[in-house]
Amino acid sequence: MRILLIMVLSLLGCSGSIDQPVSYFNVETPRPFGYVNGDEIPQRIVIETRPGITLQTGSLPAKGSINRWLNLNQITVKQSGRRYQIDLLYQVFYAPLEVKSLTLPGFTVQLNQGEKSIGQNVPAWSFTLSPLRELVARQSEQGEYLRPDSPPPLLANTQAWYGLTASLAIAAPIATYLGYLYGCFPNMTRRTVFKRALRKLAGLSKTDMEQALTVIHHALNSLNGQPLFASRLSDFYRRNPQYLQIKAQLVWFFNYSNRYFFSDGMITVAQDFQQLKNLCEQCRKIERGSR
Amino acid sequence: MIRRLRHISLWTALTVSLSGALYSAAMLYGIRQDNDLIRQLMSGKDVAVNKVIGGEPELRLARAFYFKQKHRYDEALSTLSLVMDKGDQKFQAKARYNLGNLYLEQAIQQAKAMNINEALPLTGLAKQAYRQALALDSGNWDAKYNLEVAMRLLPEMDRIDMPDEESKNQKSQLWTTVPGFPRGLP
Repeated sequence: MRILLIMVLSLLGCSGSIDQPVSYFNVETPRPFGYVNGDEIPQRIVIETRPGITLQTGSLPAKGSINRWLNLNQITVKQSGRRYQIDLLYQVFYAPLEVKSLTLPGFTVQLNQGEKSIGQNVPAWSFTLSPLRELVARQSEQGEYLRPDSPPPLLANTQAWYGLTASLAIAAPIATYLGYLYGCFPNMTRRTVFKRALRKLAGLSKTDMEQALTVIHHALNSLNGQPLFASRLSDFYRRNPQYLQIKAQLVWFFNYSNRYFFSDGMITVAQDFQQLKNLCEQCRKIERGSR
Repeated sequence: MIRRLRHISLWTALTVSLSGALYSAAMLYGIRQDNDLIRQLMSGKDVAVNKVIGGEPELRLARAFYFKQKHRYDEALSTLSLVMDKGDQKFQAKARYNLGNLYLEQAIQQAKAMNINEALPLTGLAKQAYRQALALDSGNWDAKYNLEVAMRLLPEMDRIDMPDEESKNQKSQLWTTVPGFPRGLP
């Protein structure tokens, strides 16, 4: 019994709209008051149709002048499935003496169902328009009060500034890098002498003692600007006094190197190699200023 | 080989970016000069015509502004008419608003001198210019106000159709169909 009742009720609910071509129709308009001469009034019409029914766009009002005081500036139709959204943008040109009620004219939207054509009425819409001037208008020295000319705009230079900044931002690092390649920053290369030496040492072991010694000799030479020998260490300290703090290690290094290269039967020990590395690390610390 | 290529491409990139910087700097200088000219015109000093001719539309708008301040309406009109369809939407709205002001000011002067025949078309032109300005930029309050001034000066009326127009037509039709007097026989 209950099921029967529900069925009857649902049938009753459907029966009213099943033969209507439009399932949803709404006209959305903004506030109906407070407009002035020259204002734009948007109006949105939303139509949802039953399957097989299409909107006939030719039946919409044409862009341009509707009547003496009303223009239709823009008309856009968006379709998503069976839902049509029609956006109209009117503009009013009317100079009332007091608050005046005006009406956007209604029109009929045509919908096609096969051969048949169905009309859907869009009702007229009333709104009020207010004047901008008082009834007895004030007078300026020149007579009628008018708003002044709009001053000509100054040319915008943001685009050019962006261009200048961007191209300089690109040019500066390239120029710096080229300068580095061309040896324009001798101080900078001198500050990475032991950094590079350390990197080379990392790939060596105690069996490559000859190479390791050469690397450190080379680093010291390039720091000194000329080959550095044990006898000229005092000169070196005068020019680079910060290396005095590892004086003992440097002396050991030169002695060790002498023995390695010029005496026979020298056996390399892992400890010596570690000491070499330590020396290089100390030098690196001095070089970057952390000691 | 790769090092050589890298070197060449570095130099090329440097040259390109530096010429870009040079171009932008030249543009900035040009804009600065033009803005100086605009400021000069707005302060009420004329500038040489040849500086305006090849220049940006903003310069011409400034020159028309200057002419209007000096009440040289014809020159202002001819200068403004050259920039009517130049620039972006905002600029066009500005130019049309200034054109409307140019017409309306003349119309008010003519109306004061009781030259109604001259004032009427000028007011019509002013209204048209304001309408166009507002269609381009509906937020221009000055154009709204001045359009209202023009509309009060020359109110717009709907054409009133006389209800007895049709019967008049019928009457006139009647008259034309009345036959002439028959000619007598010789």
